[in-house]
Amino acid sequence: MAIRDDFEIVASQVRVAVQRFALGLLVIAAFGAMLIGKADTVLVEQARVLALDLASPALEAIARPVAAANRAIADLKEFASLREENARLREENARLLAWQTAARRLENENERLRELSQFREGPEASFITARIVGDSVSAYVRGALLNVGRKAGVASGQAVVTGEGLAGRIAEVGDNSARVLFVTDVNSRLPVLVERTRERAILAGDNSPQLRLNLLQGVAGVQRGDRIVTSGHGGSFPVGIPVGEVVQTGEGHIRVRPFADFSRLEFVRVVDYGVTGLVGGGSATPATPAGATTGQRSR
Amino acid sequence: MRADGLLAMLDRWGRLILPGAVLLFFVVLTLAPLRVPYLSDALPLLPALVVFQFSLATPERLPGPLLLVMGVLLDLLLGGPGAPVGVSALGFVLIRAQVVANRRYLVGVPFLFQWIGFCLLAAGFVLLVWVFTAIFTWTALDPMPATVQYLVVIVVYPLLAPLLARVRPRDPLNVPELSRGTARPGETTS
Repeated sequence: MAIRDDFEIVASQVRVAVQRFALGLLVIAAFGAMLIGKADTVLVEQARVLALDLASPALEAIARPVAAANRAIADLKEFASLREENARLREENARLLAWQTAARRLENENERLRELSQFREGPEASFITARIVGDSVSAYVRGALLNVGRKAGVASGQAVVTGEGLAGRIAEVGDNSARVLFVTDVNSRLPVLVERTRERAILAGDNSPQLRLNLLQGVAGVQRGDRIVTSGHGGSFPVGIPVGEVVQTGEGHIRVRPFADFSRLEFVRVVDYGVTGLVGGGSATPATPAGATTGQRSR
Repeated sequence: MRADGLLAMLDRWGRLILPGAVLLFFVVLTLAPLRVPYLSDALPLLPALVVFQFSLATPERLPGPLLLVMGVLLDLLLGGPGAPVGVSALGFVLIRAQVVANRRYLVGVPFLFQWIGFCLLAAGFVLLVWVFTAIFTWTALDPMPATVQYLVVIVVYPLLAPLLARVRPRDPLNVPELSRGTARPGETTS
């Protein structure tokens, strides 16, 4: 009896030791994952893309109920302010109609001036419409998941816009999914112009609802209400997408409120500006007919 | 010892995989574009809540390696560029180890004590993720969103925990430790 008791005690001690060891192993494994993630960013990005592609069907499946819930909540909120909202929209509509007239006139004028000066326009942008199937908004990330990917022509670095303005850029692309990094994310740096003064600046996110404007040439004459647009420098971004407006100017820090309303995004458009497509297209276009003709000749 | 009919087998399998499945569901739900004010902030912490709650009663059904995989998956799905992959895994494993080590104070006690236990462990989890993310991205992260996230999740806990507890009410293992049979005193399977 005593021997068996001893044996059991020893056995349980061994088991406890093994289990302690197991915890240590798990902790080491977790640290190992973090180190690998730091060392091999390509591998991690591939893993991320794989995880996104796997999760995206599940998210599509729950997208409808989630959208319904969101709509119900938004309805409840808007119901309270229906009358004011209506009045505001009517006023805005009137103002926009005036703008539309102005825009038409300017467009005509622009076209005529371009004809006069032989101005060559940049590559034509095309749009890919996408539904937001997932938020990757946490305390540390500001982003979203789209239901389009490489198969639809989405590529890393493309601009993502809403009706109001720029939302962000594509950070990762899977076959049928893509991750947008919003301009408000702490990792977002965007070359922009102050529309009125044409001053260049960098617009940086810091995970808060507003953006930080870092001017490259001193703080000369930026005022509240100035519109900030993309400058198109260094990337596949088109020029002149509205990003936000200056809401606060102060000692060295200028805050910008983005036009895009990140709290109620449902559909966005990915802008395929074709900068990468232009390079690839240039060599691909002549190659295809040549290949086709040789193929016919050999037969 | 146990009936070996088909239903019994299904029952056993169902019970076996249920905690893992619920955890996976909440990991995926983290990405759902839910726009409920405040609640959507807390979504990324709900998997940690699930780990805590299931570790209370049936830790053997959330084995450490599974937590590791789920944590890495959560980080992959959630993380932006530069964020550490595996920090949630570390957090999950530590939560489970702490719950198992402190069963005496957490199992079979009034709900309030479990809540306090969760508050402490969730604080540790949030702090861990915050510190590691700050180190890995080398930026002074604003602690405010993380604090809001934490406050929301500890308010959500009393709403969600009873629901999760109902997921396993007729589990024969869900009885105080002495009459359990499978888990021996002092056993801390990791």
